[in-house]
Amino acid sequence: MTTPKHSSKLAPSASSKSDPTRRGSNGSDITADAVLKFNKPASKFLCPLRLNQYIQFLEFRIRDMENNNILFEVKRSSHDVHWVEPDIEVYDVANVVGPIDMRVDISRFDSRGDEVRTINYTFPKEFLDKKEIGTTLVFAVHPEPINEFRMIERHYFKDKLLKSFDFQFGFCIPNSVNTWESVYSLPKLDQKTRQEMIAIPGSTTSDSFYFVDGRLIMHNKATYTYV
Amino acid sequence: MGLLTVLKKIKAKEKEMRLLMLGLDNAGKTTILKRINGEDISSISPTLGFNIKTLDHNGFKLNIWDVGGQKSIRSYWRNYFEQTDGLVWVVDSADRPDRLEDCRRELAELLKEERLAGASLLIFANKQDLPSALTRAQIAELLDLQSIKTHHWHIEACSAVTGDNLLKGMDWIVDDIAARIFMLE
Repeated sequence: MTTPKHSSKLAPSASSKSDPTRRGSNGSDITADAVLKFNKPASKFLCPLRLNQYIQFLEFRIRDMENNNILFEVKRSSHDVHWVEPDIEVYDVANVVGPIDMRVDISRFDSRGDEVRTINYTFPKEFLDKKEIGTTLVFAVHPEPINEFRMIERHYFKDKLLKSFDFQFGFCIPNSVNTWESVYSLPKLDQKTRQEMIAIPGSTTSDSFYFVDGRLIMHNKATYTYV
Repeated sequence: MGLLTVLKKIKAKEKEMRLLMLGLDNAGKTTILKRINGEDISSISPTLGFNIKTLDHNGFKLNIWDVGGQKSIRSYWRNYFEQTDGLVWVVDSADRPDRLEDCRRELAELLKEERLAGASLLIFANKQDLPSALTRAQIAELLDLQSIKTHHWHIEACSAVTGDNLLKGMDWIVDDIAARIFMLE
């Protein structure tokens, strides 16, 4: 592995700190505490793509804890990661596996604009009746140690918070490949909400925020459509 | 799913429990973790980082951290000691004598760690399905467990392949932690 040249590039610039209109453009002024207070989806991406030179996602999987069926799976063809141009490779999705009516819109993954940061999931509506699921994230860490890695994910229906995850990975070993499975019960939905989620595609959304040493380095969005 | 039955015992006041699973490479840590979570164990490769399971049940949370045991990674173990309620030490009971000596030494070093001082200790004498596996008593003697006065400890002979005694061991450590936390309050 070659030595990354990220340290100088990532140094926060003085101007962005003093100019409140640029709030969010740098990432360094968005704290975990602030994100935990969000009660509706963020209207824009709160940090630039290039800030993430630390981690790359390799796999993501959802399983039904009742019968162990894999409900959704997306993974890269290989765990070999090149750290030279990581921002483009983040969504280098090699294959998508899942029941035929469970889709993710990967046509946008080739784009290099903000579209690459939004994933649009389509699940069968029966998904809303699942009681307990496990979500597995596999990620690679760049060739230097990370002292504090933290993920906060906020799930919304329209402008209402449904569920919030806050997980502190803490230290990450340089060049490591790590797996995190979170097993949890899905929030119980009243009939009206359930019907609206199905009726209005994309009304269910999430914001995922990733922090390295307290600094926002990645912000992704997802939309969920149930058919 | 088996672990949930263990988890249900955690009382509201504990909220969150953190277990750290360590041991030499190829001891079977990841296989145990997957096995108790009902996952496929047919193709498991060496862990080059960590595997975490978070079980969130009725507002109680159990976090299990399995950190790779290869020699090059062991120096990073100390980064995961903080806030550990229970240490699960996994032993390949059919390992070579020199490796079992490494295993004894590494465990002894861990038990000196200040940040692990309050942790309950579960030893899994794994791979009991192999004919050459040493017994629970033999592993206990090799690791000199009797001399441990600083930690609550328990040894369980198990097999990640057959699943034997895995939940029994997890049950012990969760109970021991719960009792300890309860007494502090």
